[in-house]
Amino acid sequence: MATLVKPKPVTDVELLRRPNLPAADVRLPAVRDYEQVDDEITGTLHPTVAWFIGLGIAIFFLLIGALAWTYQIYSGLGVAGYNPPVMWGVYIVTFVFWVGIGHAGTLISAILYLFRAGFRTTIYRCAEAMTVFAVMTAGLFPILHLGRPWKFFWLIPYPNWRYLWPQMKSPLVWDVFAILTYLTVSTTFLYIGLIPDIAVLRDRETNPIRKRIFGMLSLGWRNTDREWRHFVRAYLFLAAFSTPLVLSVHSVVSFDFAMSLVPGWHTTIFPPYFVAGAIYSGIGMVFTIIIPLRKYFGLKHYVTINDLDAAAKLALFTSLVVGVAYMNEWFVGWYSGSPAEKQFWANRLWGPWWWASAILYTCNMVLPLSLFSQHLRRNTTWLWILSIFINIGMWFERFIIVEPALSHEFEPWQWATYHPTWVDYSILAGSFGWFSMWFLLFIKQLPVVAISEVKEIVKPRLRVRHMRGVDVTGHHLPFEQDTPGEYD
Amino acid sequence: MRGVIGMFRELDATIEAISALKERPIGEFTVYTPTPRHEIEHAIDAAPSAVRRFTLIGGLAGVTFGYWIAIWISDYWPLVVGGKPIASWVPYTIFGFEVMVLIGSLATVAGLFANARIPKITMTVGYDRRFSHGDFGIWVEPSPDRIQEAEQLLRKAGAVEVRVER
Repeated sequence: MATLVKPKPVTDVELLRRPNLPAADVRLPAVRDYEQVDDEITGTLHPTVAWFIGLGIAIFFLLIGALAWTYQIYSGLGVAGYNPPVMWGVYIVTFVFWVGIGHAGTLISAILYLFRAGFRTTIYRCAEAMTVFAVMTAGLFPILHLGRPWKFFWLIPYPNWRYLWPQMKSPLVWDVFAILTYLTVSTTFLYIGLIPDIAVLRDRETNPIRKRIFGMLSLGWRNTDREWRHFVRAYLFLAAFSTPLVLSVHSVVSFDFAMSLVPGWHTTIFPPYFVAGAIYSGIGMVFTIIIPLRKYFGLKHYVTINDLDAAAKLALFTSLVVGVAYMNEWFVGWYSGSPAEKQFWANRLWGPWWWASAILYTCNMVLPLSLFSQHLRRNTTWLWILSIFINIGMWFERFIIVEPALSHEFEPWQWATYHPTWVDYSILAGSFGWFSMWFLLFIKQLPVVAISEVKEIVKPRLRVRHMRGVDVTGHHLPFEQDTPGEYD
Repeated sequence: MRGVIGMFRELDATIEAISALKERPIGEFTVYTPTPRHEIEHAIDAAPSAVRRFTLIGGLAGVTFGYWIAIWISDYWPLVVGGKPIASWVPYTIFGFEVMVLIGSLATVAGLFANARIPKITMTVGYDRRFSHGDFGIWVEPSPDRIQEAEQLLRKAGAVEVRVER
């Protein structure tokens, strides 16, 4: 006779180990109260030896880039490997790469906010800061591409008397408007979200100078009901504005290529293809940054495996979108019947650029398929390694868009080749140094996990325990069950 | 300005105090909370935020300016390309959209500042650093003869500390 075995009660720890659990019930089981959130997140702000070493390496790479740029200014743009008609090289490739990186930040902070995706809460600050620094890095490249960079303001399309009247139908002018709007709005979004957290730092700070600085930056925030009421509404509207902005900016960047007649560029699929690629690359960079951070800052119980799992699913989805876009490009290249398009594709797949295509397709189409495995999605080591491949793959995606197209246009006189030089590579390395330097400075001055938003998903202290789905006033909650802060 | 400040460790105690203050209006009150809580918002039952008006006006002004600046630049010094119209609304929608987002976002921030009354130069009375840490608080501004009543109300609701400030 079979024995009836009573099932053991499931603990929070066991639930955490289980995949695909309904996220909210055990969102942050290891976080007890608001005080713990403050103590642990502000505890990451003290500089360590490892941080100084990291900052030193970042500045070293930045100096390499700065030296190469100085040499380029002295010697002329010819040292950057340009070979007419290939007059766009590594700089435009890296510009698009960094703009793309900048997209995941606003996607995570704005779009996922509107969709109420719970996994954004602990990673969005990191992604937002990454956005601002990535767009700052991207903004350097149009200037680096100038022979006389001190004349950079000639690039800004405003009415002037220098015989440079803006052509408002040019995609390059649209691009300036889009990127500057994106930089302004994403910086504003980051700063507004930071205000309550800076108030926490102000109230905990003992150093009078830092306290005064935090006091000014927090704008005298006092956590009143009036402040929160308007803050929540303003944040929602900023998210609502940022959401279409994310989609528009990379669409406009793609117009830089798609509005031309160059074979391989003149295609209507570019806007969605660029947007999906940008989100994909941005999530890759989020993994590259957040996985070491959660480990070395001791924040594994904030940025949980569930959060990374959910973000990995998003990376998988966007990799499938870009994969379909690549296949669509192959098909259209063949189906167009245009000899120029066919030659472009032959060059790209089997010609002199095959190696770059192989890297691109391996990194962006093949390796991300591993994320179908739940086991690998929850393996942080694999996620981090994969994120490096994603970064490499996405840089090569932009390389393979720009170089084969420019080096093989319609007429034989337009056929050339392109080899980046040490100056290109040094400035590329310098851009990573510049980005890393700002990010490292940020994470030791301001909280890399949003304190006030994490508190929202921590159970508040209560005198009386309440049933699930009933708030402390005794009313049934008007929204979904997984709203954090409930009691069993 | 003279008032009574009560500090609460628990959210439900804070809600109880707010409900009591709504039932028995002793004076204007302000609630402090380390993070926005929908329970507090329901208990206070304040009017909807006016930030949305700033957003709407900013967005409309932005889209108008975006289209206008593109059309004005094109008309002031026409650069004719390929027989296309000098001012073409289809590509200029990009300017309209981008400037709408830019001005709309900045107007939203202005709306936040105006309505939340920040930046504040001084911290004034009625604030405690624990309110950004983990505690809830209520600041009541009663008439001088009702200060004691306010203190009693806050204590009865569960305030762990009550003090008069001026």
